[in-house]
Amino acid sequence: MAHAIEITNLHKTYKGGWSPALDGLNVHVREGQVMGLLGPNGAGKSTTINILCGLVTPDNGTATIFGKDCIADTLTLRKMIGVVPQQIAMFGNLTAWENFRYIGSLYGLTDKQTKDRAHDLLVRLGLDKHADKRINRYSGGMKRRANIIASLLHQPSLIILDEPTAGVDVQSRAMILDFLKEYNQKGKTIVYTSHLMEEAEQICDEVVIIDEGKFIVSGAPLELINNTTDCKRLEDVFLHYTGHSVRD
Amino acid sequence: MKKILATIQKEWILLRRDVAGFMLLFLMPAVLIVVMAMVQDAPFKDYQELRFDLLLADNDHSRLADEIKFGLKQSKNFHVVDSIDGKPLTEERLMALLKGGKYRVGIVIPQGATAEVINAANTVANRISEKIGMGKLPAREMRDSMYVRMYFDPVSKPTFRMSISFALDKYITYSCSNLLVSRLGKLGMSQGETIDTAQSDEFKRIFQGIGIKEEPLNEKGEITKFISSVQHNVPAWAIFGMFFIVIPIAGNMLREREERSALRIQLIPHAQNYVALGKIFFYTLICSAQFAVMCAIGLWVLPHLGLSALYMGQHPMALIPIALCIALSATAYGYLVGVVFKTATQATPFGAISVVIMSAMGGIWVPLDLLPGVMQNLAKVSPLHWGLDAINHIILRNGSFSNVIPHLIVLIVFSTVLLLISLYVSRRRTHSIQ
Repeated sequence: MAHAIEITNLHKTYKGGWSPALDGLNVHVREGQVMGLLGPNGAGKSTTINILCGLVTPDNGTATIFGKDCIADTLTLRKMIGVVPQQIAMFGNLTAWENFRYIGSLYGLTDKQTKDRAHDLLVRLGLDKHADKRINRYSGGMKRRANIIASLLHQPSLIILDEPTAGVDVQSRAMILDFLKEYNQKGKTIVYTSHLMEEAEQICDEVVIIDEGKFIVSGAPLELINNTTDCKRLEDVFLHYTGHSVRD
Repeated sequence: MKKILATIQKEWILLRRDVAGFMLLFLMPAVLIVVMAMVQDAPFKDYQELRFDLLLADNDHSRLADEIKFGLKQSKNFHVVDSIDGKPLTEERLMALLKGGKYRVGIVIPQGATAEVINAANTVANRISEKIGMGKLPAREMRDSMYVRMYFDPVSKPTFRMSISFALDKYITYSCSNLLVSRLGKLGMSQGETIDTAQSDEFKRIFQGIGIKEEPLNEKGEITKFISSVQHNVPAWAIFGMFFIVIPIAGNMLREREERSALRIQLIPHAQNYVALGKIFFYTLICSAQFAVMCAIGLWVLPHLGLSALYMGQHPMALIPIALCIALSATAYGYLVGVVFKTATQATPFGAISVVIMSAMGGIWVPLDLLPGVMQNLAKVSPLHWGLDAINHIILRNGSFSNVIPHLIVLIVFSTVLLLISLYVSRRRTHSIQ
């Protein structure tokens, strides 16, 4: 299977940063896979995602998505990827529907395309009865679900989700994870970051653990659990490789 | 285009839902206009005594002109300019200089003024001599009107005109009195007799023939309207209110950065430019609407409060491009503040205070001709000055679109520079975190 993402020897040190955010990172994600990018705070997950989105330029190394360079071909790539940021990146004073209509028009979709796509996603994520409510009046879980819909209106081939279930209740989390699995079954590639190992174990075909900007280990969750001494869960594997010391 | 329209629609929904912001945009300048026009109605009639350049064209070349010139030159209020580059000032040159806007007032002493005064003095002297049986001086029938004409820039305040008019009247009366006394002296009267007679109503009536006529001057030398509380306050506070758009624009941009919707836009290919254009277009329209509402208040609300109605000049349509250019400048300024500052706590007070400073510099609070020379030069930095001066050209000087083209160019250049700086700062910020 071809690679959807190829990250090779990626280096990045921010101005004024006292240590590199990425220090020769190598990661490969196959097409149609759900890949969990795991790591403690400051491991370099957000920097990796920002480079993939073309928001941050690496000092060295290459990152490609579907064979296109993330920096040189940013604008082309942004049509192919859907990014679900950790924050609710929507206009709080607009209703969900107004948000989708605006975002759809910026993607160049017709009103009908936006309406049809948004409607399907609203129904699937249980927000169809709340489409005319302002985002500010949504609960945390509803906001997260609306945030995902906004990132999928242009039907991207690759979805990058940065902690999509942070701070949501069990029901919303279950709905989001089911939706992602279903979406993956349509052949879409998903890159996903989370601090919830149980969730990653449940949804990911493969996980990559990074720390201090470096690749540590990768593999299917079950394979990693089996191959690591005294590990019964993915969280044990994670702690085995990244240690127990608290990160700032 | 669809993306720009979508942004305009989105901004409109957001503004509609921000009731406080909406009120700030329309209600605040409306209240300012009403309050300031009423409050300043009386003070606008006062005048601080300052020293002004006063152009003087002498077509008389005789005693009356010499005495007026002498009197004016003695005054601490006027610096009399009666020749330029060593050449005596002609009436045509005087009009041209006033048209240039550098000078605020010009006086033209008509040809034959002294002869007319002598004739009047002789007539009075003859009537007095008839009563006491003395000789007779040569006199002809008096003319109905012989005016020393005063030309004013329409922007000049009524009290300014009055002070010059009074001064001039004083010198003419003085000169006439001297002449009368000398004419009576020729008939052999004593000083006591002449003074008693000179105070008679007849004397005053006859000397009204040598009067003063005030005329505001526009670019074409046509008579136009003098500045009033309404003519000053409506455009001035409308522009002030338009620049307060800085608060909603900057607030909106900062909120979008904080709630991360700006990041969403950043992730959509090519969207940032369309969104920026849509925002600028939308707020330019809102500012222009503000201006229209403020003019409507000047036209139809203020007269109900006992003030005069706003006079829109002979070319009111020229106000449309002016309003659009001021609106664009105000929007560009708001956009820059929104880009430069990182939090609303920083941007809001800066935006508000900077607009107050620029408005004070630009002649919104106090007409520029009352400010010191340094401030008058400094005013050119303020876009509010260019906006107000352009509007004054239309509603006070009866100017047309061609008269305000330089103003519009300045406002467009100002807007372009601010938008380019915004673009630069925005890009620099993106790179500086990397």
